[in-house]
Amino acid sequence: MATRRFSNTRRTGEILKGIVKETNAVTALLISREGVCISSAGQTDSLNATALAALVAGMFAATREVANIVGEEHFSILLQQGEKRNIHISLIGHRSMLVVVFEDNKRIGRVRLATRKAARKLLDSIEKPPEKKEPSGREEISMPDFREYALNLVDQIFNVGKEDDAPSGPR
Amino acid sequence: MPHLDLDERQVVFKIVYYGPGLSGKTTNLRFIHRTLAERYRGDMLELDTEEERTLFFDFFPVSLGDVEGFSLRFHLYTIPGQVFYEASRRIILQGADGIVFVADSQTDRLEDNLESFRMMQANLTSFGYDSEGFPMVLQYNKRDLSPLLEPGTIERELDLDPGLPVTESVATSGRGVMNTLKIVSKEVIRRFRLD
Repeated sequence: MATRRFSNTRRTGEILKGIVKETNAVTALLISREGVCISSAGQTDSLNATALAALVAGMFAATREVANIVGEEHFSILLQQGEKRNIHISLIGHRSMLVVVFEDNKRIGRVRLATRKAARKLLDSIEKPPEKKEPSGREEISMPDFREYALNLVDQIFNVGKEDDAPSGPR
Repeated sequence: MPHLDLDERQVVFKIVYYGPGLSGKTTNLRFIHRTLAERYRGDMLELDTEEERTLFFDFFPVSLGDVEGFSLRFHLYTIPGQVFYEASRRIILQGADGIVFVADSQTDRLEDNLESFRMMQANLTSFGYDSEGFPMVLQYNKRDLSPLLEPGTIERELDLDPGLPVTESVATSGRGVMNTLKIVSKEVIRRFRLD
């Protein structure tokens, strides 16, 4: 199965920092359609970014299905308004989403403008190959070693206890 | 689809627990979450109905640590098993790198297991995945109940690849749960390619 690679996440982080600064947002995150947080900026300590990414990806996918039902291909922006905080989610290309959490709902126009401006830069950043002349992922990750160590870790951590003695099939 | 980040140096795999309603998918995940040491697991999300039936999905991340300079993580998901949540199941299944099919071993649930498995295969095919070669484990759960399906029944009925890994479990007590996770994780790692 194909692997989805990201190689400019630091640059992406700089773009997100710019959005946070410009809109005075609490945080900005870029997440993949698979629900993985690619990069973030702002206050991320108080937010569970991993859970947020999984939920937003699910929510956006559900919204796409809703769009199809009502005859749209997709809804490109989702806005959730709360008492204290608001979330603005926008599609970045077909495979990523930009999430901006902000407090002052009067800033919605500024958030919308900043995210629209940043969309192209973000897309370029995540889809472009690494800028620096650095070893490619193929050279950086030695697959036989990676596999061997990863399999060892799985053996150690997903430990089979005494209770876990059910027979298993082939392989 | 595996997520490889060369800047942040992390690899993330998605494993989905699939199966008919009430087969024990959430119970599997809860046991894994309880069993893993805190340093390996993140918070568990359960999006369920008032009757504690999964409405959208359950989720938690597992961080196994550093492998060759890359942080290795698994994201574990369940799907909602009830028949009418098909659209939600498709959403969760998309991007999966491995699947545990949690079958209910009670004989009167055979048709539900078969229907759920067929729908899963159809979904995988519609995403362009080869369901035959996909990293997967078939888990016969609820082995403490009776009357029970004979192991091999589902594989025979669906003419499944004889190489498909099969486990038996009692998710409520944890028997077979970690073993199943271990097998599917290894299948996923073995088939991880950079292209």
